[in-house]
Amino acid sequence: MGSIALLLLVALPLAGFVVLGLAGKRLRPAAVAVIGAGSVGLAALDALGLLVRFLLEPPEARVIRQTLWVWLDTGELHPRLSLLLDPLALVMALVVTGVGFLIHLYSIGFMRGEEGNGRFFAQMNLFVASMLVLVLADDLFFLYLGWEGVGLSSYLLIGFWWRDEKNGRAARKAFIVTRIGDAAMAVGLFVLFQGLGTLQISEVAARATAAWRVGAGPAVLASALLFAGAAGKSAQLPLQTWLPDAMAGPTPVSALIHAATMVTAGVYLIARMHALFELAPDVLAAVAVVGAVTMLLAGLSAIAQRDIKRVLAYSTMSQIGMMFLALGVGAWSAAIFHLVVHAFFKALLFLSAGVVILALDHEHDLFRMGGLRKELPLAFWTFAIAGASLAGLPLVTAGFYSKDLILWEAWASSRGGPLLGAAGIFGALVTSLYVGRVILLAFFGERRTVASVRPGRVLAIPLVVLAGLSLVGGLVELPPTLGHAPSFSWFLEPSLPAATAAGRRSDMAILQGLTSLASLSGILLAYLGFLRHRRADEELPLVGPGVTGILASGFGFDALYDLCVVRPLTRIARANSADALDRIFEGLAALVGLTHRALCRTQTGRLRTYAAAMVVGTVVIVGIAVLR
Amino acid sequence: MSADELRAISPLIVLGAAALVALLGITIRRSHRFSALACVVGLALAMASLFLRGSAPPPGPLLVADDFAVVYTALVLTASFAVAVLASGYMARRQRPEELYVLLLVATLGAVVLVWSGHLVSLFLGLETLSVSLYSLIGYTRTGPRSVEASIKYLILAAASSAILLFGMALVYAELGTMVIIEMGPALAVASGRTLVVPGVALMVTGIGFKLALVPFHMWTPDVYEGAPAPVTALVATVSKGAVVALFVRLAWALGAAGQAALLVAFGIVAAASMLAGNLLALRQDNLKRLLAYSSIAHLGYVLTAILAGGPGAIEAVSIYVTAYFVTILAAFGVVTVLSGPDGDADRLEEYQGLVWRRPFVAMVLVLSLLSLAGIPLTAGFIAKFAVIFAGVRSGLWTLLAVLVISSAIGLYYYLRVVVVMFAAAPAASAVAPPVPQSSRVLLLCLALILVWLGVYPVPLQGIAWTAASSLARESPPVTTPLGPATARRP
Repeated sequence: MGSIALLLLVALPLAGFVVLGLAGKRLRPAAVAVIGAGSVGLAALDALGLLVRFLLEPPEARVIRQTLWVWLDTGELHPRLSLLLDPLALVMALVVTGVGFLIHLYSIGFMRGEEGNGRFFAQMNLFVASMLVLVLADDLFFLYLGWEGVGLSSYLLIGFWWRDEKNGRAARKAFIVTRIGDAAMAVGLFVLFQGLGTLQISEVAARATAAWRVGAGPAVLASALLFAGAAGKSAQLPLQTWLPDAMAGPTPVSALIHAATMVTAGVYLIARMHALFELAPDVLAAVAVVGAVTMLLAGLSAIAQRDIKRVLAYSTMSQIGMMFLALGVGAWSAAIFHLVVHAFFKALLFLSAGVVILALDHEHDLFRMGGLRKELPLAFWTFAIAGASLAGLPLVTAGFYSKDLILWEAWASSRGGPLLGAAGIFGALVTSLYVGRVILLAFFGERRTVASVRPGRVLAIPLVVLAGLSLVGGLVELPPTLGHAPSFSWFLEPSLPAATAAGRRSDMAILQGLTSLASLSGILLAYLGFLRHRRADEELPLVGPGVTGILASGFGFDALYDLCVVRPLTRIARANSADALDRIFEGLAALVGLTHRALCRTQTGRLRTYAAAMVVGTVVIVGIAVLR
Repeated sequence: MSADELRAISPLIVLGAAALVALLGITIRRSHRFSALACVVGLALAMASLFLRGSAPPPGPLLVADDFAVVYTALVLTASFAVAVLASGYMARRQRPEELYVLLLVATLGAVVLVWSGHLVSLFLGLETLSVSLYSLIGYTRTGPRSVEASIKYLILAAASSAILLFGMALVYAELGTMVIIEMGPALAVASGRTLVVPGVALMVTGIGFKLALVPFHMWTPDVYEGAPAPVTALVATVSKGAVVALFVRLAWALGAAGQAALLVAFGIVAAASMLAGNLLALRQDNLKRLLAYSSIAHLGYVLTAILAGGPGAIEAVSIYVTAYFVTILAAFGVVTVLSGPDGDADRLEEYQGLVWRRPFVAMVLVLSLLSLAGIPLTAGFIAKFAVIFAGVRSGLWTLLAVLVISSAIGLYYYLRVVVVMFAAAPAASAVAPPVPQSSRVLLLCLALILVWLGVYPVPLQGIAWTAASSLARESPPVTTPLGPATARRP
């Protein structure tokens, strides 16, 4: 039973992709919508059923394994198509299908009347199916297939409006930048296979702990390479530049990339391979630092963005950075908890921003919005709820619980420390600052543009559901100071070891107070800076145009890479366009062409030539056979 | 003959009877529908009888019906079935379609006899039954001069090669005193030092090599592929070659037990030359049928490489390769068939320009089959090429493998070139292609699905191929290939 349900979980969206991919053009839009959203919806129901089943079983029985088949059977390497469902995989699957389904539902309304509806839903289904393969794979080879599938579908969807050259460029950028991480990850898999002789995930963990001691060379190398792969997919420093440009896709695609699929893949990978990473404490420390730095840089950049979707993009980068920080200090379940909560409110932020964008006829500029509170009340309230959750407004939002847990672990766990904790608190301040700015600029103040379209019911349902989840979703994990009911961590316990942080309850309460203070003062700062002294230009108060420019460009990474990588490479390529080494390959091509022409001359079309060749050939073969 | 013995050869009887029924039908009243139906039903019944024939062996020493033969018979029957379906759509637009089905059934009968042959006499009978039907099939349409030319070329060269084959068989018989194939290995072991066997086998290779279009017996291929009607080309590419491969494997297995290093060198040269020449000749070919003809030379070179690797694993690889090649090339020629109008086959490359935009379904089938021919992963062709390379690696045939890899790389160029042409912008005034008959459409869809299915989920195919190979290994147990003892792959 369980294994069939597990298979269906992947098979349903995949079937949706196949059907829509083959027949999408011929189906009516209604049929496309039913198949596209329905396949993911059924998968979500399936995942819910599996959750019920898991909850009814004792914790040690909460695992389903299924090997579908061995693709190629060659000596050592047996790339297996096998699935593993454990609590971690189930949580991920629930997020992917649940949030994914709501986004699909929303897309029906958002993409109404667009050209290429069938193509859109086919690729969305492929996206979800690839992500499910990624989180359910029991074999790193199979996981890598899902990993690449995610990369492919993100490329297709970011460039969905391909007639605009700019979108194509953004799609290529996402594909190429993440490719750097993917290549590192592939090498990491080679290292693992070389050292351990297996790619099956549980086997890798078992053999690695048995064969390598803490800090062993191969363990450090492999986990560093896997980390590079994770950083690419999750848009962490230094491979983060693709994410803001990825906004070129339709808004539901952005929601899918940022909430349910793609960027969470890196977090999942590290959590899944935690046994390996624990053998490499230095790499874990690097994960924490990279996460913290990304969180701060991206958060600061978000303050200076004009484009509402770019604010959200930098916000994702920053929040994923926070999850990496949690992973780096060994707070595995806290990272996954924040991933889930983030999926709720980030999806909601994108979807309600999409309502605004749609209503203003594809207007993205914050400075041309304003006063939309009265015109688009649903969008305002849902955006505000999601924003509050992102800012971690104390007690009433889900984001508070998940963020708080991470900050506590960063502060108090053996791998963390005051520095990481302080970075986290500062990050919380920055977060509520940019959230407050967006809400104030878009929904308060005077009206700049008149809203033309109001959201229909199809758009409203996902918004309301996600708003509810963004508020109460945090109650599954209550900290010791507030009731102490960490049921989420308990559920994940079979997959992920418990957190290590040890500290007094009073310390925790103090930290929670600090975080709440940071969160509230960020909003206050935003109010003072952007509503009270609202300025017509985009310059930030207090800091002047120079700093604003740096922040707006995301600390100039694009320019830096352009200067250090892209331009030198193109210059070298241009200077070397008459490469001597090319001569070899041109020579080879010429040689092949020459032999082709020579051989063609033998095909005279004359029977006598053919017969002669046959006779001479026979004589030669008999000659060789006899004379040797 | 007892009833059990008759039952044992029932597939042959069914095929013969079906040919007779079709022939009688034509003499009473010409009906394309009836002839096509008789052919398709006959092939389906033959397939059914293949599995219902009981466990008794066929009478006498002429025929062998082991698992190996069953697998190849099933392949041959399925391919003939596909050809019949394609032909029924193709011939509907042409004159006198009825006799084609009779010839098709007879050719299939010859091919099945070839697959079942355990004796040199049945080998020759099967080969000639197949060849004679092919002479007329290749020239069947008679409208274009190329068709007749191809037929005459094939007739003369095939007849000559058969004569050489016969002479080689005579030499072998003279030396070994037996024409039963599995008795040859032991006889050869006793008769070591008698020199006539080696030239005898070498001469037989001419006959086999001609049918498989291996270098230097390959030159007829492009002319015949181009001249023959497209469904017949599919038949030449699949049924005729697959049956001869089965026979060759059987022969090589029996003789390999006391193998001859000299022969191996000769075969190795033939394989390498076929792979290189086939791919090089196809390089800038502007006619799709000729291109596929040249490509078939290379593919049979790959198969020969696997045969030379020796051991049951290699036989398994051969069967996997042949199956994948059947599916792929049937899909390719299926597309050529359905695109061909009444005034000639659609074979010029420019007719395929922008096909993806004009005829997306048909074009995607062709793209898939070209990718499979090139050996791109997730297609049957990749699994097949992988199996061949794996067999070669285990036997250490490094030189041949190097040639295989290099020539595959060259091959990629012309396969992808066709794909590029299909994706180019459609020409403004493109000829209106005929509508695709429903039966052909279903067939193409099935072939495309199988093609991907085998690439993604090759386990059943590997199991079947392994069964076939091990049945062959059981019949002549002393398995020592010339390249050292064959390693059994699975316990």
